[in-house]
Amino acid sequence: MSIKLTTQAYCKMLLHAAKYPHCAVNGLLVAEKQKEKKKDSHSTPILCVDCIPLFHGTLALAPMLEVALTLIDTWCKENKYVIAGYYQANERTKDFRPNQFAEKVGARIAENFSEAAMIMVDSTRFTMGCYEPILAIYDHHENKWKCRDCNADCFEDWCEAQKITSALLEGRSYESLIDFDNHLDDLRNDWTNPEINKSVLHLC
Amino acid sequence: LNVLIIVFTEMRDKLRKWREDNHRNSEQIVDVGEELINEHASKLGDDIWIIYEQVMIAALDCSRDDLAWTCLQELKRQFPGSQRVKRLAGMRLEALEKYEDASKQYDSILQDDPTNTAARKRKISILKAQGKSAEAIRELNEYLEQFVGDQEAWHELSELYINEHDYGKAAFCLEELMMTNPHNHLYCEQYAEVKYTQGGLENLELSRKYFAQALKLNNRNMRALFGLYMSASHIAASPKVNATVKKANVKYATWATNQINRAYQVSYARCLL
Repeated sequence: MSIKLTTQAYCKMLLHAAKYPHCAVNGLLVAEKQKEKKKDSHSTPILCVDCIPLFHGTLALAPMLEVALTLIDTWCKENKYVIAGYYQANERTKDFRPNQFAEKVGARIAENFSEAAMIMVDSTRFTMGCYEPILAIYDHHENKWKCRDCNADCFEDWCEAQKITSALLEGRSYESLIDFDNHLDDLRNDWTNPEINKSVLHLC
Repeated sequence: LNVLIIVFTEMRDKLRKWREDNHRNSEQIVDVGEELINEHASKLGDDIWIIYEQVMIAALDCSRDDLAWTCLQELKRQFPGSQRVKRLAGMRLEALEKYEDASKQYDSILQDDPTNTAARKRKISILKAQGKSAEAIRELNEYLEQFVGDQEAWHELSELYINEHDYGKAAFCLEELMMTNPHNHLYCEQYAEVKYTQGGLENLELSRKYFAQALKLNNRNMRALFGLYMSASHIAASPKVNATVKKANVKYATWATNQINRAYQVSYARCLL
């Protein structure tokens, strides 16, 4: 029932928030599609292997979100991924609770993937050193979102995630991070962020 | 020596472009601006004052209070008693989250000059920063009754309404902007997005029309192109439309798909160059 994050997924989320500190940002998390549901599948955590940054600024409009979900869904099918989560960082630092919009998008994703998670980024604890995970993870239970404690267990390898995210922040990699908004501004901008993925791998 | 002059001119021109485009790339502005001020102040002439202002605001964004303070002192010295500099001092207080002190600063500007729009807008920004959206919206509406031509304010209000999911009122603000800026494709496109979000067949048809209008004004606006495809597709799929309307919208959607595919092909080709 619970999700775990790889370094690449966590990294790109934080880089997105760092690129637009004065804006709200949001995006999707993808996991590898499970071939079969094993009997005890509910005890194996879902691993979110990548993150697709979507928008910055005004988030609460429908058309471009629908376009993004459609295009990313197609990309997921080609790569045997599934959309497994949604993240959001609000405009105001002190505002780290999910709002109506986040719950709506989260619910929409949960329609296609029952173990979907909604993640809110807590910007008040955002530091260059990344000493602690700054996420609040919400699981969908009986039409309500329940907050789960986020600690090192929520990561495939927290030490690696901490080290690499910090290094990329220091190196200002967020300047070259591409979100879906950037893609709409110029189609050559690649929202899969291959260069940043390479940097993450390089530092592993 | 020539290389240094070229570097200096490039830096100064970069800052000017970012100023003109109202870019909020504060880290870069601080990087370039700090060096320019420290190494090349004498070459800047009167440009230096507007650069101090630009760098100061960027420094506040980057929590560089040391740099912001330096710029503020230079401006205070050169323009004693200036309302514009007073407003910058207020912004510094906002950055330090001393909202009461900042508000008092702006009130003192307004006492001397009740028509000072900058000070009024900063007060509204404080409400926004404190999460007091309803109050910010109310104050901004009052402001716009007096300063009905302030486009920046109309746009800010539309965003505040969108965040509150009050799409009808957001649409009204964008209508004001479209009226006074009929050639601005961005306002058209944003209006279409709001209408689409409002939902319902009538709003979808309106959104399609405005996405189309935005495309007419700028045929490279990808959001308008995608929006045209989405709205036309939804209308065509609606059980409430008759066969003629359905056929027309299928045609629009197909046209949009072809244009989208072409746009991607062109961009891939440009990538390879």
